[in-house]
Amino acid sequence: MESLGVQPGQLWYLMALYAVLSVPFLCVSACILAGFFLQPARVAALYGVTMLGSGAGAAGAVGLLYVAHPATIPYALALATATAYLCVASPSVWGRISGWGLVVLATGLLVTGKVQPIRVSEYKGLSYALRYPDAQIAGECASPLSAITVVKSGQIRETPGQISNYPMSQLGTLPEQAGLYFDAGSVSPVHRFDGDLSRFAYLDYVTGAVAYRVAPASPNVAIIGAGGGTEVLSALGHGAIHVSAIEVDPGVLRLLRGPLREFSGRLYERNDVSITIADGRGYLQSHAYQYDLIHIALLDSFTASAAGVNALNENYLYTVEAVSLYLERLTPDGVLAMTCWLKAPPRDSLKLFATLAEAYEKAGPGDPSQRLVYIRSWNTATIVLSKAPLDASRISRVRSFCEDRGFDLCYLPGLVREEANRYVILDEPVHFDFAHAILSPQRENAYRNSLFDLRPATDDCPYFFQFFRWTSLPTLIRGMGTQWALFVEWGYLVLVATLLQGLVISAVLILAPLLVFTRRATPRPARRWVLTYFAGLGLAYMFLEIAFIQRFTLFLSYPVYAVAVVLTAFLVFSGLGSLLAQRVLGRRSSLVALSVCGIVVVVSIYLLALAPAFSAAAGWPDALRIALSVALLAPLAFLMGIPFPSGLQLVTDSFESLLPWAWGVNGCASVVGALLATVVAVHFGFSALTLVAAAIYVVAAFCLARLEQRARGGA
Amino acid sequence: MSSRLRHSRPVNATALVVPLLFLCAVAPPDDEYAAARARMVQQQIAEGDSWGREAVTNASVLRAMRAVPRHQFVPPGQVSQAYDDRPLPIGYGQTISQPYIVGKMTELLKVDANSVVLEVGTGSGYQAAILAELVKDVFTIEIISPLAEQASKRLKALGYSRAHARAGDGYFGWADHAPYDGIIVTAAASHIPPPLVEQLKAGGRLIIPVGPPFGLQQLLVLEKRKDGSITQRSVMSVKFVPLTGRKEGQESASPRAAK
Repeated sequence: MESLGVQPGQLWYLMALYAVLSVPFLCVSACILAGFFLQPARVAALYGVTMLGSGAGAAGAVGLLYVAHPATIPYALALATATAYLCVASPSVWGRISGWGLVVLATGLLVTGKVQPIRVSEYKGLSYALRYPDAQIAGECASPLSAITVVKSGQIRETPGQISNYPMSQLGTLPEQAGLYFDAGSVSPVHRFDGDLSRFAYLDYVTGAVAYRVAPASPNVAIIGAGGGTEVLSALGHGAIHVSAIEVDPGVLRLLRGPLREFSGRLYERNDVSITIADGRGYLQSHAYQYDLIHIALLDSFTASAAGVNALNENYLYTVEAVSLYLERLTPDGVLAMTCWLKAPPRDSLKLFATLAEAYEKAGPGDPSQRLVYIRSWNTATIVLSKAPLDASRISRVRSFCEDRGFDLCYLPGLVREEANRYVILDEPVHFDFAHAILSPQRENAYRNSLFDLRPATDDCPYFFQFFRWTSLPTLIRGMGTQWALFVEWGYLVLVATLLQGLVISAVLILAPLLVFTRRATPRPARRWVLTYFAGLGLAYMFLEIAFIQRFTLFLSYPVYAVAVVLTAFLVFSGLGSLLAQRVLGRRSSLVALSVCGIVVVVSIYLLALAPAFSAAAGWPDALRIALSVALLAPLAFLMGIPFPSGLQLVTDSFESLLPWAWGVNGCASVVGALLATVVAVHFGFSALTLVAAAIYVVAAFCLARLEQRARGGA
Repeated sequence: MSSRLRHSRPVNATALVVPLLFLCAVAPPDDEYAAARARMVQQQIAEGDSWGREAVTNASVLRAMRAVPRHQFVPPGQVSQAYDDRPLPIGYGQTISQPYIVGKMTELLKVDANSVVLEVGTGSGYQAAILAELVKDVFTIEIISPLAEQASKRLKALGYSRAHARAGDGYFGWADHAPYDGIIVTAAASHIPPPLVEQLKAGGRLIIPVGPPFGLQQLLVLEKRKDGSITQRSVMSVKFVPLTGRKEGQESASPRAAK
C-alpha cells in the first residue's frame, strides 16, 4: 500500500479489513443467540453471564498488557475461544480431542512467544527511522499505555520546533540523539548527555525558550510531558534550580534507567531533577507545590498534530479548568508556558491563547491583557501567561529574544500591528488580529467568524484538537477545492465517515436479512414497540458508557485505565443486574420502570457530584481511585443491566418471532450509538450526552410497558 | 557540361544522404519527447498546473524546462510517463518531482547566470540539470550513494559540466563551496537545517519543503537579508518524500491554504 494520497482502491482494503475483523464477532454473536434459542427460559441469566465474561475479558486484556507484548493478545483470545469450544464440544469424543488440541496449540503459541511481529505501516515514524543508513533498535518496552521502541541513528535530529538563527558553526552541531518511538509513531528524542549543558545551547533558539525570559531567574520548574528529557535539559541550561519532570508513561523511565541510562547521562537521577510517573494534571491537583514556571510543550508529535488524529482525543491538559489549576500552582511571580505546533491555516495556537485568556479572566485578579506573551516561528507557537503583570524589563527581554531569533511577536503588551508578521510572513497578521479580538469586546465575533472552532475546551467538552465546523465547509471547499480535507482534522472526518458506514452496513447486514427472512406473524404495534425499545437500549447504554469513559479519564489519568475500569464495571455489574432480572417474576415493565427511575436519579446525582468527588480524591493512590471508580459505577451499571434481559425475556415468552429483531436492532443501535456518542460529546459535551441517554431510557421504559400490555391482551 | 553533371550527381547524393544518416543517428529517435516536453511546459507549467496554482512565467526557467530531456532522468520503465503531470519513482524510495514543482521551485530561487547554487537531494539529477542551464555552478548532494553516482554519470553524459554531484548528508550542506546565492532542498525536512541557513549568502534564497514526513508540508521561501536577518514565507502546501527516506512515495502539490 504505497500511496500517500487518496486512492479509491484503498476502499477495497478497508472492506477486506472489515470482513476479516467481523468473522470472530459474527461467530460469537451466533453462539450467544443460539444459547438464547436453546434455553429460552434462561435468557436473562445467559445474558448476564455473557456480560460477566465480557467484563472479565476487558480487565484481563489490560492486565495481560502488563506482562506480555501486544502481539500476544490474539493468541490469548484464541486460547479463550478454544476453551469455550472445549466446554461445548466435550460431550463427544471428537469434540474433546479437537478441543484439547486447540487449547494446547493456543497455549503453546502464547507461552513460547512464537508470535508474528506486528507489521508496522511504512508511513509511521518508526518505519521511517529504521530506514536511516545506520539505524538500529536499542531497546523496547511495552505496557498498556504504549509500546516504545528505541532507535539509535545519526540521522535522528528531532527539535522542539524550528531552530532559528542558531549559529551552528560557532556553538556546535546538535548532540547525538536516540529516538523513543511510541506505538511506532510519534517520537521523543533522548540526547547523549555527558553533563555539559553548553552542548544544548540550541534549545535557546526555539520559541519555547521565551518562557525563561519571562520567568523569574533560577526558577523552580515543572515540566509536564517530560518524555526523553529535552525540556528538562532546556530548563537546566536556563539555570533552573530544580526541575520536576512529570511523565505519564512508565515505559519512558524504564528505558532511561535501563538501556539508555548512560547515553542520557542519568538525566532523571540528578539531584536537581525529580521524575514522577503521573498524569500532569492529576499530579498538580494532588500536590500543592508552587512553581516559578510550569511548562507544557509539544505533547503530541508534529506528524500526529498535522494529521489531526488527536481531534477525538479528550485532553484535560488544555481546558479552561486545567489552566486555572496551573495558575493556582504558580508562585506570585510564576509563569505558565504552553507550546504547540502550528498548522496551516493556524488554529491550535489561537485556541490556546483564547483558553489562557478566558481562564485568567475567571481566575483573576486583574487583566489578562497585561500578562500574556504570544510568539511564533513557522512551525511552533509559545504562549506565556504570567501571574504578575509584565513589566518593561520583561517585555524588553521578550522583544530582544524574538528579534535575535527571527520569531514573530503575535501578542505582547504594547505591540502594534505593524510589528507583527515580520519574519515568517503571512498574508495578514492573523495571530495578532485574533489575539486582540479575544481580549476585546469583539471576542464572540472572533469565534463566530473563524473558519475553525476556536472556543476554549472545558472539562465537560475536552476536545481541544477538534476544530472542524460544518458551517465552514462551503468556504473550505471554495478556497481549497478537492484538497480541502488535507487542511482539517482527520480524526473527526473519520468518525463521521465511520458513523455513516456503520449505518449502511448495519442496515444491509442486519436489518435487510431480517426484513427478508423473518415471519410477519407479529402485529405491527408490537413490532414497533420492540424495535424502539431495543434500539433505544442500545443507544442509551453506549451513550452512558462512552460518557463515563471520558469522565473517568480525568479521574484515573490514563485513558487505558478509564476504558478498562469503566468497561469492566459496566459489563460486570450489568451482568449482575441481568441475573437479578432472571429471578424476578411478575410484571417486567414494573421492574424496568423502577430501574430506569434509578438510572435517572443516579445520573442526575453524578452530573452534580462527580466533579467534586474527583477533586477530593485526586491525590489518592491508583488502586484506591480505581476502587472508588468501580464503587461509583456499580449502582448505575447494575440498574442498566436490567432492562435488556427483561425485555428479551418478554419477547421470548410472547413474541418469539421478534427475538432476532430485538437482538439485531440492539446490535445496530450499539454500533451506531458508540460512534454517535462521540459526535454528541464533541459538539455538546458529556452532560448533554448523559441527559440524552437518561431520556432515551425513559422512552424505552414506556415502550416496554406498552409491549407488556399487548402481551397480556394477547395481541 | 554533361561530364560535370555526371561527376556532380554522386556528390549531391552524398550531400543529401550523409546529413540524413547523421540526423538519424544523433537526433533523438524520439521526436515525440520533444513535443511532449513542449506540451509539458506549455500546459503544466506556463499556464499553471492542474490544481489551479500560479503559472511559472520566468522565460529562462521555461526555456530550461524545454531544453532538459526529462525522459533521460527516469527509469526505462517510466519513460512513457516522463512528461506526465506527476512525480515518478526512481528507486531507493525517491522520486523525480512533478514538472510544475521543479519549475516553480526554480523560479522561486531567483537565480541568474552568475549564481552558485546548492541543491540538497540530487535524486535523478533532473533539478540539477535544470539549474545547470541557468547558473554558473550547481553543487548537488545526495545521501543515497548509488543515486548520487548514477546522477553524476548521467549529468556528465548529458554534458552538464556545470553540475557537480557527490554523495553526502545534505543536512550539513556543502561547506567547501559556500556561501551560495541559492539553496534548493528537494525533500521534506521537519525543520530548516541551520547549516543551510549559515551557508546562504546575504541576499540569497533558500527553498525548502518543511513539515512532517509523508504528510502535508509547506514550501518555504527563506530569504537572508543584507543584514543577515531571515524572513520566511510559505508559498504553497506540498507533499515531498522525506529528506532521508528510502521508500517509494508520491508527491503532489496542493492549492495554497486559505487563511
